[in-house]
Amino acid sequence: MSTVSETIPRGRSARRVRIDGWRWGGRAFLVFMLLYTALPMIWMLLTSIKSGFAAMQFPPQWWPDQPTLASYQKLLDPQNSVGQDFLRFFWNSLIVSTATTILSVIVAVPAAYAFSRFTFPGRNFLFFAVLLRNMFPAVIFLVPLFILMRAIGLVNTHGSLVLTYLTFGLPLAIWLLKGFYDNIPVQLEQAARIDGATRFQAFVLIVMPLSAPGIIATAIYSFIGAWNEYIYAYTFLSKNEQLTLPVGIQRFFSENTTDFPGLMAASFMMSVPVVVLFLLLQRYFVRALTEGAVKH
Amino acid sequence: MAHVVLKDLVKTYGSFKAVNEVSLTVNDGEFVALVGPSGCGKTTTLNLVAGLTSVTSGDIFIGDRVVNDLDPKDRDIAMVFQNYALYPQKSVYMNLAFPLQMRKLPKDEIDRKVREAARVLDMTQLLERKPRELSGGQQQRVALGRALVRDPAVFLMDEPLSNLDAKLRVQMRSEIKRFHQDLKATIIYVTHDQLEAVTMADRMAVMNGGYLQQYDSPAQVFAHPANMFVASFVGSPAMSLIPLEASTANGGAVLTSAEGWSLALSPRNAQKVARATTRKVVLGARHSTIKLHKSAVAGAIPAKAYTVEPTGDVTFVQAFLSGAIVNISVSPNVAVAPDEQIWLEFDQERMHLFDSETEMALEAS
Repeated sequence: MSTVSETIPRGRSARRVRIDGWRWGGRAFLVFMLLYTALPMIWMLLTSIKSGFAAMQFPPQWWPDQPTLASYQKLLDPQNSVGQDFLRFFWNSLIVSTATTILSVIVAVPAAYAFSRFTFPGRNFLFFAVLLRNMFPAVIFLVPLFILMRAIGLVNTHGSLVLTYLTFGLPLAIWLLKGFYDNIPVQLEQAARIDGATRFQAFVLIVMPLSAPGIIATAIYSFIGAWNEYIYAYTFLSKNEQLTLPVGIQRFFSENTTDFPGLMAASFMMSVPVVVLFLLLQRYFVRALTEGAVKH
Repeated sequence: MAHVVLKDLVKTYGSFKAVNEVSLTVNDGEFVALVGPSGCGKTTTLNLVAGLTSVTSGDIFIGDRVVNDLDPKDRDIAMVFQNYALYPQKSVYMNLAFPLQMRKLPKDEIDRKVREAARVLDMTQLLERKPRELSGGQQQRVALGRALVRDPAVFLMDEPLSNLDAKLRVQMRSEIKRFHQDLKATIIYVTHDQLEAVTMADRMAVMNGGYLQQYDSPAQVFAHPANMFVASFVGSPAMSLIPLEASTANGGAVLTSAEGWSLALSPRNAQKVARATTRKVVLGARHSTIKLHKSAVAGAIPAKAYTVEPTGDVTFVQAFLSGAIVNISVSPNVAVAPDEQIWLEFDQERMHLFDSETEMALEAS
């Protein structure tokens, strides 16, 4: 050992120690971040399987004495009024989010392709305009959009939410996809067109399959955005049967008592679709966000 | 196969003229190289023929049809791209089959043609691979296969060899040449490498600044460059171009250098110089036409060797004359040292004279 350390110049070994320090600091930070994000979720899960009384106990029960799935049963039971509400909210959220996702892909794919491939008058201005929305906090648009929706008779419809989510989700979707298309060599389409494809066929047969990861990432992004959105859903919808989950879950808070296990079970089930989507498609998502960083 | 005619072809981007009044005819079965430095308009010209770029003015004929407004797919052409443009998600087989599928050929005929092309290009064992699993040379070959599987009227090739390493490039060069000879294909081949153009093409079109500079067989372009650009572009090392001043002395024409020496011209060369628009003319000489002497000889011009580059077969000596670099090739057993005094003798028969104003070659009447 001593002979080895003697052959290493002093400066170099000192530098190595410093790098190790950074590395351990980084790890500690990551562990902290992991706890910061994971602990509330674990607590949510634990609370959801407690009884109403156990959830309020102090000092808290770290692991419930009598774990129960009663809250889940109540929420998923169509006979029960709570269950009816929850399932309806869930369904509403699913409809709004799916519609937003589909429309956003339908609009963003050709828009991004056009920005990437064609030069047309006002191209730069339009591309900047697409970003402009993202420079302001979403609440700024709350009142104007509400007035607009009332004027066109969309208040209390899911359409108002889909439209709103599109205006918020599309800019990033278009940017993300444009980066993707920029990275697909234009010669591929040219080759396809010479090989006998029309411009549209070249896009559908050659470019679309290559941009699938980008399209999937865009879809996840739109879905999650719409699924989690609260403030607009709260403002635009007032009828009970139309509420989406983030707003509907509020109903577990009542004036006198709050059904914490029920609230936590509902929250947990709300996060299931997003988690499942993410787990299934995460490799595309990561690829899409890092694509373009490296030329390949 | 078909012939291709470009007539007064112009392409502008805003105020920038990428292609200027280019007219040329590619005969049926001819291999024509478009050659020039980057930005000279050669790739734009090719894209115009392919239909990937729209024509500003002028006409393109493929066969007897004007194809200006036809889609690329309707022009009956095939193209090989510099980056090969193989469809990354498709296997080699599907890459080769794609042009046939697009033309809605029956499945068994597609299969027959794909396997035939694979056999010709010796890549039957690669058919199931994806492009990224192939070496550069193999990808190149697939790109070529995708072009020839369809039997097009014209092959367009956009610097197909420039992504290959030097050794493979030489090998593929002869393969493409062989391919042309066997198929009697009409080929328009874009390259920035004059050596590729000279070695492969039946005729070469030298372009610069969007203009066609000269269109002739490589031998003619080499022996009779139309202007100073072509003279300096074609041939390696480049032709030496020495700016001089024409005058008369002792009843004959001489070229005088600002450095004080002068060179008497043969009667034929004197005739050429007489046609110049100005007294300033440029003397052009290829390395092989300049004789290097190690002692003073009548008619030879004194110079100092600057660098000496042995390449094995020949040794290249560089010297400065009138501020221009002059390349001379000598036999490797001639020992020349840098800074050594040498004498250069120009071959009157094989020297070129250019008008320094118009940059055009001066011809005797």
